[in-house]
Amino acid sequence: MAIPALQFLWKIGAPAGLGVMTTGLTLSKLATRSGYHIYDYTEYPSLIKGGHNTYEVNISKDPVSMVKNEVDCLVCFDELTFNLHQTRLTPASTVVFDPHTFQPETVAQKIEVPMQELLNELKAEKVMVNMIGLGASFALLGGDFSLLVELITEQFKRKGDEVIALNTNCAKAGFEHVTKNYQSVVRPILTPEPDPEARSVLAGNDAFALGAVAADCRFYAAYPMSPSSSVLEFLAEWQKHTGMVVRHAEDEIGVVNEALGASFAGVRAATGTSGGGFALMVETLSYAGVAELPLVVFLAQRPGPATGMPTWTEQGDLLFAVHAGHGEFPKIVLAPGDPEEMLDLAMRAFDLADIYQTPVIVLSDKVLSESHYSVSVKTLESLMQRTSKRGKLIAVSDQHPYLRYAMTDDGISPRLIPGQSPAWYQANSYEHKPDSHTTEDAFERMQQVEKRAKKMQTYFTNDFTGPSVYGDIASADLILYGWGGTKGAVLEALRQIECTENAACSDHRWHALHGKPRPGGKHCNIAFLHFTHVYPLDSEKIKSYFSYQKPYLLVENNSTGQFGQLIKQATGFETRHQLLKYDGRPIFTEEVMTAVEKALRTEAEC
Amino acid sequence: MATVQDFSGYTPTWCPGCGNWGIGRALMMSLSEQGLTPANVNVMFDIGCSGNMNDFLNASSMHTLHGRSIANAVGCKIANHEMPVVMVGGDGATYGEGGNHFLHACRGNHDITLIVHDNGVYGLTKGQTSPVAHQGYKSKTTPDGVIDRPVYALLLALTQGATFIAQGFSGNLPQMAQLITAAMKHRGIALVNILQPCVSFNKVNTYGYYFEKSYQLKDHDPTNFEAALQKCAEPMQEKFPIGILYQVERPTYTDQIAHLQEHSLLKAPKYAAATSLIKWFE
Repeated sequence: MAIPALQFLWKIGAPAGLGVMTTGLTLSKLATRSGYHIYDYTEYPSLIKGGHNTYEVNISKDPVSMVKNEVDCLVCFDELTFNLHQTRLTPASTVVFDPHTFQPETVAQKIEVPMQELLNELKAEKVMVNMIGLGASFALLGGDFSLLVELITEQFKRKGDEVIALNTNCAKAGFEHVTKNYQSVVRPILTPEPDPEARSVLAGNDAFALGAVAADCRFYAAYPMSPSSSVLEFLAEWQKHTGMVVRHAEDEIGVVNEALGASFAGVRAATGTSGGGFALMVETLSYAGVAELPLVVFLAQRPGPATGMPTWTEQGDLLFAVHAGHGEFPKIVLAPGDPEEMLDLAMRAFDLADIYQTPVIVLSDKVLSESHYSVSVKTLESLMQRTSKRGKLIAVSDQHPYLRYAMTDDGISPRLIPGQSPAWYQANSYEHKPDSHTTEDAFERMQQVEKRAKKMQTYFTNDFTGPSVYGDIASADLILYGWGGTKGAVLEALRQIECTENAACSDHRWHALHGKPRPGGKHCNIAFLHFTHVYPLDSEKIKSYFSYQKPYLLVENNSTGQFGQLIKQATGFETRHQLLKYDGRPIFTEEVMTAVEKALRTEAEC
Repeated sequence: MATVQDFSGYTPTWCPGCGNWGIGRALMMSLSEQGLTPANVNVMFDIGCSGNMNDFLNASSMHTLHGRSIANAVGCKIANHEMPVVMVGGDGATYGEGGNHFLHACRGNHDITLIVHDNGVYGLTKGQTSPVAHQGYKSKTTPDGVIDRPVYALLLALTQGATFIAQGFSGNLPQMAQLITAAMKHRGIALVNILQPCVSFNKVNTYGYYFEKSYQLKDHDPTNFEAALQKCAEPMQEKFPIGILYQVERPTYTDQIAHLQEHSLLKAPKYAAATSLIKWFE
């Protein structure tokens, strides 16, 4: 692996309502359009005004998949921002603030921007302070102002020329203030790269929405719940073009049953929610299971129990998803690790639901749902053009009576679209005979249970995918394993640890990268097993990954090591080294590094 | 063209004398008269004695979870609005367990027909009270009598935006068939509430009770909201008007979705420009 490029972290903070989210996303887009990779991360409380919102963008020439501890540029719209985040500053950092609001005491370099004064001069509204901050930041990072004008114009197109001009002027005032007064501090972080590859700035929810459209999902019904709601909003916004019907209906029980009704009628259908809403949907998963109807459920996790912490993150619902629904029926749970995988697996979820005629759950979490990555447009296009596989879906049957639940070798029976054939059937929530009529006969019951179970054997043979392996297992001193959204932090750790090992990575470079001197002594190699097909797990296909005579470290964003339990169930393997985090925040790169060191130290002591 | 016989499935397991026999027969007669076949009508059966009609009536159908048939019906109708969708369920499923779906389906004027078997009890679980039972009604789960006031379903439907409201009586088969046909021909949500004595468990709302307290609507203008309001409120005084109480024209839910006017969702061509949406994120 090559030496990772420098990462530069920009962070902005303000009370809710000052446009921090828009400003942050704009910076992510500016950086991406300038030819760089970004990963961004937001923190905000569950309220609309006040509180404290932050947005940080990690910028690099290389792909980046997590933020880092050191803040290189902190933009403060209030004193609280400085107070809360000053510990992350270094002498090389810059702090942007309004000297009329407060004066920070800091080791970092101070960039005074009289934001209120500039606002008054321009007769701009208070919220436009974010444009001044953005302009000042972009100047500090050596950006090309024309890109900012381009983005502002796109962003406010609908609001008219006057709004565009006012915002542009605010951005310009911030930009020019810095170029005039702080030219010596400007760093070439966002100097435009020549001919940058076209990249999108994509978060997990965005990717699920794109995937649903590309997969020809025609019906999406949901009830808003953080952090899943933006999927509903995007799909609703697009429906005039896509032809999808998107419904915000009465409650989660209603929407999942509407989706199932649409699926019965023959169109691809899905719903999306978070843990609490999902809890209301589980009875219907069971119905989809016995009636053998496809159903895709997007489950964006947040910390529970109950209302929990709505705007924070956790991987706490894995076992809930796995066990959701009463009775025994097949179900597939997928857990992408980044937006590109989300797009891929969202589309795959619709295929698998059709092929296996059963519910498929796509797991996300707040951080994966809302954090953006730079993703190659070409890659997205090629994924989105993939042809759908609809399995044994038929429009006509000349069978009489039509055996909807006929016994087959693979457990899957031809599924008829109602209305286009003399044949008909009932999607029966009761146990049923092959012809779909209700039965309580012992033999018929066993046959149907076995038929449904057989579908998962077929899935293991045809579609189950084992973990992606990052790093080299053979030479690794420690093997990490995890699933879903923790992928980003672990891959960052992997890159940095490899850099530590790489002699070509100079001490100076290492220091710049980590913000602290390079440690001496022996370093290590790690490998990472990342699972996306998290349930059911095919023991035969995965047990070899857990047979190395090496220590393993389980990485999960929950308190009980839920995936570790699934692995133990499937393979008998468990490890004593665990990195579990359940404070509502994602697992950060530095925490992975610390856990790696600790696991190796513990091993050495034994 | 299918006959009543073509719609007739397994022999029903309903109690002798149960009103479900008549309602089931009336539905088959109506479907046959409308020229439908078992394959071109979607029937959403809820759970309960009424929903058990799933095996007795031949039709493309879902036998849903308890209380959820309306939600399944809404999704099914939107996905293929060219096919008629009928929901068959009891008062417990429609006005209790599925009450939220009921009132919201009225708001949306989804083009579905609800045939509600209103017998005041949960028959299949052996006679516990339903949400339409009168205050003081005693059952095994309410030994001292129901404290809650009943759900007045006709009023609820009317005030939440239903565009067709009728009441039938399971003792009058030809009229039930007519009401079902009128409801299915109506464009928009149509409620047919059928008063149906449960001969096994309800000793209050008997055939005799309804013979005494129900009456045929005459000289009633179903397009008049005020008049309908009055009639729909009569069950509060234990008076049960039979016939069409309310019927007005209003665009259905799918009428108001521009992209469903040319094709049903099922038959629409696939959206070919999905990749153009990537621009939203650049």
